[in-house]
Amino acid sequence: MSLLEINNLSIQFGGLTALTGFRFALDPGQLVALIGPNGAGKTTAFNLVTGVYAPTTGTIALDGKSIAARPPHRINQLGIGRTFQNIRLFGQLSVLDNVLAGFHQEITHGFWGTLLRSSHHWREEREHHRQAMELLKTFALDSRAHWQARNLPYGDQRRLEIARALATSPRILLLDEPAAGMNPTEKAELMQLIRFIRDHFHVGIWLIEHDMKLVMAISERITVLDHGEIIATGSPAEVQANPKVIEAYLGSTLHGA
Amino acid sequence: MKRSDQLLPGPAHGSPWASFWPLLLLLLLWPIGSFLQNAALFDPYFARIICLVGLNITLAVSLQLINGISGQFSLGHAGFMAVGAYMAAYPAHAMLATDAKDAHLRLLTNPLAPLLFYLDIAVVGLCVVGICWLLFGVFRLLRRLGNWAMAVGLLVVAIWLLTDMAMGSGQDGAPPPYLVWSSLNYWLHALFDALLARGLPMTHQVAAMLPGAVADVLKGPVAYFLTCLVLLIGGGLCAAGAGLLIGIPVLRLRGDYLAIATLGFAEIIAVLINNSQPLGGALGLSDIPRFAGFGWIYGVAILTTIAVWRLTHSARGRAMLAVREDEVAASAIGIDPAHSRIMAFVVGAFFAGVAGALFAHFEGYITPRHFQFMRSIELVVMVTLAGAGSLSGTILAAIVLTVMPELLRSFSEWRMVIYSLLLIIMMLLRPEGLLGGRELIPRRWRGDADVSA
Repeated sequence: MSLLEINNLSIQFGGLTALTGFRFALDPGQLVALIGPNGAGKTTAFNLVTGVYAPTTGTIALDGKSIAARPPHRINQLGIGRTFQNIRLFGQLSVLDNVLAGFHQEITHGFWGTLLRSSHHWREEREHHRQAMELLKTFALDSRAHWQARNLPYGDQRRLEIARALATSPRILLLDEPAAGMNPTEKAELMQLIRFIRDHFHVGIWLIEHDMKLVMAISERITVLDHGEIIATGSPAEVQANPKVIEAYLGSTLHGA
Repeated sequence: MKRSDQLLPGPAHGSPWASFWPLLLLLLLWPIGSFLQNAALFDPYFARIICLVGLNITLAVSLQLINGISGQFSLGHAGFMAVGAYMAAYPAHAMLATDAKDAHLRLLTNPLAPLLFYLDIAVVGLCVVGICWLLFGVFRLLRRLGNWAMAVGLLVVAIWLLTDMAMGSGQDGAPPPYLVWSSLNYWLHALFDALLARGLPMTHQVAAMLPGAVADVLKGPVAYFLTCLVLLIGGGLCAAGAGLLIGIPVLRLRGDYLAIATLGFAEIIAVLINNSQPLGGALGLSDIPRFAGFGWIYGVAILTTIAVWRLTHSARGRAMLAVREDEVAASAIGIDPAHSRIMAFVVGAFFAGVAGALFAHFEGYITPRHFQFMRSIELVVMVTLAGAGSLSGTILAAIVLTVMPELLRSFSEWRMVIYSLLLIIMMLLRPEGLLGGRELIPRRWRGDADVSA
């Protein structure tokens, strides 16, 4: 049994079936990609797993326990982190505060501890600060820890979002188009970073991406979605050769990218 | 990048005692001000202004927590103030009424009496909440059948309630048991009166049983201080309870919708008070012992500022700011937005209630007209002028906006015109607030971590 198991998942918005018969499994240490044309239902799948939507049918299980239709903050506390297609940082807060917010769920000192500034409060604050700075150092953002997040360059904002998600100690990380808007150099660095994250933090990474070179290079397994249905799964080589996939999606890109 | 540095409400990492200098200034001036006021060295008009400023500081800072830091839009802050004021003034007033009417302040020597009152409130309040919870459960069951079922259910309950109350009103003694709502109303009142009526004599009995030495200590300035404290905290807790009651149902509202809901709540409070005979109705409560002077008012203002500061510059404060910035992202990293919002609401309401209680014991009489919508608006203007999230800005704005109308008094009929013009100009020139969301002290003194940044 895998850490994350999805079976027969589907969701309907009124008359529109956005996703149907979706199956998926992921374990820590794996790197799997989800690809498909725009509007295929990829982000919808992510939203279902992270509790933003409630499924119409099907099951989503983490550690064997159902997490379908649970509140998003609860799902994160259970071990699933994510980043967003359009970067959702806390713009007005500092880089450090963004990552510190990720440690919020590990707080054990209470409300009165906060008000009365107990030693418990200070201990945890210092510890979280230390962990946050370490994380920022890993992502080469520590020198700008006190910058406002919205003043970071785009590529660094993406990395900060990933760092923030990692601060929540997830076992599964969902990355939604992390390479969007990056130039080839940045994409190469991102590839390294994603591999590093998988190995160093021992998480299972589920990736939505449009850049085929990146996807083919780093994924162990690829699931292809089109119009809400899975049309192919397998290794990068298998998927590349699959005629249905080529027809639906890869056809022109294979020669272009 | 320097400018952006200072906009960050980062957590205080260094010295636990780091506070900011307007606060330090207040801490230094507080004993001096108390002494001077007691020595009656100030012109009473001037002293009054200073006290009003202190009240407004507490109110504005508590509203800053709700509006600025947790990013909600509350237009009903005066409602919380009213709850605190009446819930503190009523027992004080009642204690005066039962004891003789001389030397008001000497009568505030029984801390147990208001304590019992607040226990009564808690008991009755829990009963009412329990009934609401049951009703709510029924409605949720109905909703399974469909929204129409719930609407019909609501209509049925409303009609039932109204006819029941109409039939049961104007009767002496207990209404017949088939009139469920009237009976409920009657028995809850009876419970409240019984507890209260037994309260005072009981505390006198208890006091009589205490050994001599303890009784002496409890009589003097200690008892006086404790009684005042119980009244203030009791008023604050009642307002906090109201904050919880209003905060939970409006959780899913955002922006303007939340504003209207809070506005409605404040109006409900005003109407309830207006129609409540024991609370004085439209004529209000008078003969409230006036114990709240410079010392109490500024003591509370300082404590409020410290509390809100500490809450903001902590992990919980970061969570509130995160929810303010982006709720979806905040919940994606494990922060429960509902929890943060409620916490801000309840804490803000508590301090508003304490400020209201202080106000009641400063003026000596209160009417619903003291807590109308305009009061809420004045407070929202202070918070807006301050800039979202800036506590020293809030203090400055409270001072400026309380003093300015007074300074303009010499302009008689042009006063409000000039005041309003000044507000417009300030908003045009500096929409981000007086301090633009920043604080007045350098990062180093705030005790933040990385000074080298």
